[in-house]
Amino acid sequence: MNTDSNTISRLLDQWDPDPESLSIRVNGLEHFYGNGDARKQVLFDNQLNISPGEIVIMTGPSGSGKTTLLTLIGTLRSVQEGSLRILGTELRGLPASEIVELRKNIGFIFQAHNLFESLTAYQNVRMSCELVRRKESEARPKIEEVLTRLGLGERIHYKPKSLSGGQKQRVAIARGVINRPKLILADEPTAALDAESGREVVTIFKELAAETGCTILIVTHDNRILDVADRIVNMVDGRISSNVMVQRSATICSIIREFPAFSGLTASDLAAVADSMELRRFQAGDPIIRQGEPGTEFFVIAQGKVEIVIDGSTVNSLESGDYFGEVALIKDQPRNATVIAREPTACFVLDKVEFRRIIDASASFEDEVRRALFDRQ
Amino acid sequence: MKTPIAWRNLTHNKRKLLVAVSGVAFAVTLMFQQTGFENALFDSTVEIVKQTDCDIVIFNRARFALSSELRFKKAHLDRASGVKGVEMTTPLYIDNTVALFHAKGFRPRPIRVVGTALDQQVFLAEEIRHQLDLLKQPDSALIDRLSKPEFGYRFDGDQLLGPREGELMGKPIELVGTFRMGRDFAHEGNLIMSDRNFSRYFGYRGLDRLSSGFDPLSLVDLGLIRATDGVSPSSLKEEIIRALPAEVTVMTRAEFVEREIAFWSASTPIGIIFKIGAAMGFVVGIIICYQILATDIADHISELATLKAMGYSDNYFRSLIISESLILSLLGFLPGLLFSLLIFEINAQVTGLIMLMTIPRAALILGLTIVMCLISGLIAMRKLLTADPASLF
Repeated sequence: MNTDSNTISRLLDQWDPDPESLSIRVNGLEHFYGNGDARKQVLFDNQLNISPGEIVIMTGPSGSGKTTLLTLIGTLRSVQEGSLRILGTELRGLPASEIVELRKNIGFIFQAHNLFESLTAYQNVRMSCELVRRKESEARPKIEEVLTRLGLGERIHYKPKSLSGGQKQRVAIARGVINRPKLILADEPTAALDAESGREVVTIFKELAAETGCTILIVTHDNRILDVADRIVNMVDGRISSNVMVQRSATICSIIREFPAFSGLTASDLAAVADSMELRRFQAGDPIIRQGEPGTEFFVIAQGKVEIVIDGSTVNSLESGDYFGEVALIKDQPRNATVIAREPTACFVLDKVEFRRIIDASASFEDEVRRALFDRQ
Repeated sequence: MKTPIAWRNLTHNKRKLLVAVSGVAFAVTLMFQQTGFENALFDSTVEIVKQTDCDIVIFNRARFALSSELRFKKAHLDRASGVKGVEMTTPLYIDNTVALFHAKGFRPRPIRVVGTALDQQVFLAEEIRHQLDLLKQPDSALIDRLSKPEFGYRFDGDQLLGPREGELMGKPIELVGTFRMGRDFAHEGNLIMSDRNFSRYFGYRGLDRLSSGFDPLSLVDLGLIRATDGVSPSSLKEEIIRALPAEVTVMTRAEFVEREIAFWSASTPIGIIFKIGAAMGFVVGIIICYQILATDIADHISELATLKAMGYSDNYFRSLIISESLILSLLGFLPGLLFSLLIFEINAQVTGLIMLMTIPRAALILGLTIVMCLISGLIAMRKLLTADPASLF
């Protein structure tokens, strides 16, 4: 994992995004199917904030409610309880006409391709363009470009009957992305594709997210594409059981693994530690810990510079990647020094209980961290 | 730019398209047949009046239809000829209940015999006008080529094939020529002859209590009156009504035709029967068309739901289904029309009825076909609007 200062500062900038700028903001969302005695709750008090440009992979066993959540976010079901804001618009109680308008900003990619057999690949994609009343002269090169990039350059004017399953799926993807929607919702988009096509699709997703800042939410069980995820959300029994920003988690891991006591942790344990760490910010001159106080937390500096002061005299200075506060926790003693921020500083903080739980050791990082997060259900 | 999905979906599968078009064409043909027969009934019945060149018709007030045999005194017609604005009057003698025609080797059959004064050109058809001179010959008549073949005559074009002799009312008659008028539901065939000959065959008419001096021609079936140029038939009609006693009814030709059709349409069950037949065709058409549209929607429900998820509005789907309905109605109407024309031709030949396909009648059926498909579309629309994109996941 590359933990250069740019990565870290971007990570810190995005730590607490402005709630108004979020693409998806789920708050206390609950959902029920059926009526009366047959009424069954499928979503329980869900919270989820997703920023523009994020690629989110959502996973979970069948029946866990992830599809319900996806259809709610896609405006295909009406919100019953709680709040759901998409692209700045509250969906709860939104009139049908506005929902239809909002859908034009969402690109759907379904597990089944759902292409019109009577239309060519080109015409199927054009159905999307017509929705935003784009001129044919303007749409044609875009459609051709997208289809070509998806490896269908030779088959632009073929009907679905003459295309393979993977090719049909790629046409459906082209249809979903052609209008550069602000939000793309994909249900197992790569399930029907070979590794190469799947990779191409994922690359297109990544580029779209980077170029247009669109948010992409993918429900998938395909672990070949996990590397594109900025965030992995697991759902179990109608609840989001874990919601991890992979980049953030990996960055924290790469910092904290420098600490000897953590160096032997397995990737999944390390990820669990990273997950439970909290970011705390300090202004220049703020005391972070004071000599003589009981030690309750462990600190890793993400950004900035601190000074260690013992009995009034500065003995050392620490910076990004360094850690402090561990001695009091390990020895169960009061703080042996005061630490003061010298410039605006951000630290990842782990509490004592969590710190003490850490025991064993292991190696290898990013992939295992991802896999561990993905499998944690 | 707009992708014609309605057209593409309907025409994509050629076999399904053929079935759909045949279904609609079947309903169209059914409606054409029923309305065609109904119109044939009316057209054929009034054909005799339509073939005459007159503006006003007078007849016995009690004559409720052409086929009833209530007559009026010729004296009334003569009086009408004195009314200002009358260019010409001529009597038409019609006999159909007692007239029996007998060709050698065939069974005698009732026939309608029309007697006309030879000094007046009252018929519009050129071929009748040219042959009036032939009718001066005693015991002669022209025969309608559309008369039932059972009378015993065959025709080649306007030529009578085979022997020209026959018997009318037990007396010999020679068929000196042919004309074209057509059968209707009450008459199997027609003869035209001079009033003089008519009086010889139908002398019994002189025995009627109304007739004067045993003159069979003193009682007239229809009195035909032509107005001088520039005189409007409706105002002349008022003049004649004033001049004649109340026992005769005076009508313009159009009124007479209308009254005759109204009689058959309203006072007999025949009009109703055909209307019910046409309505059946309409209902069958709605069912067929609904099946086609509903199947088409069901076949494409995922794709349509995807369009819905993409942000296509309900109005788009409404116009989609209406387009499909219109396409179906037009695609089905054309073959239905062509097939009906063929069947009309066969019907006309077999029955001798006048099967007319006029533009207003075709337009009426086209209108009915469009309404039929639109109703089906509206019923099928509910199915489409309930398509739930959430079910796609």
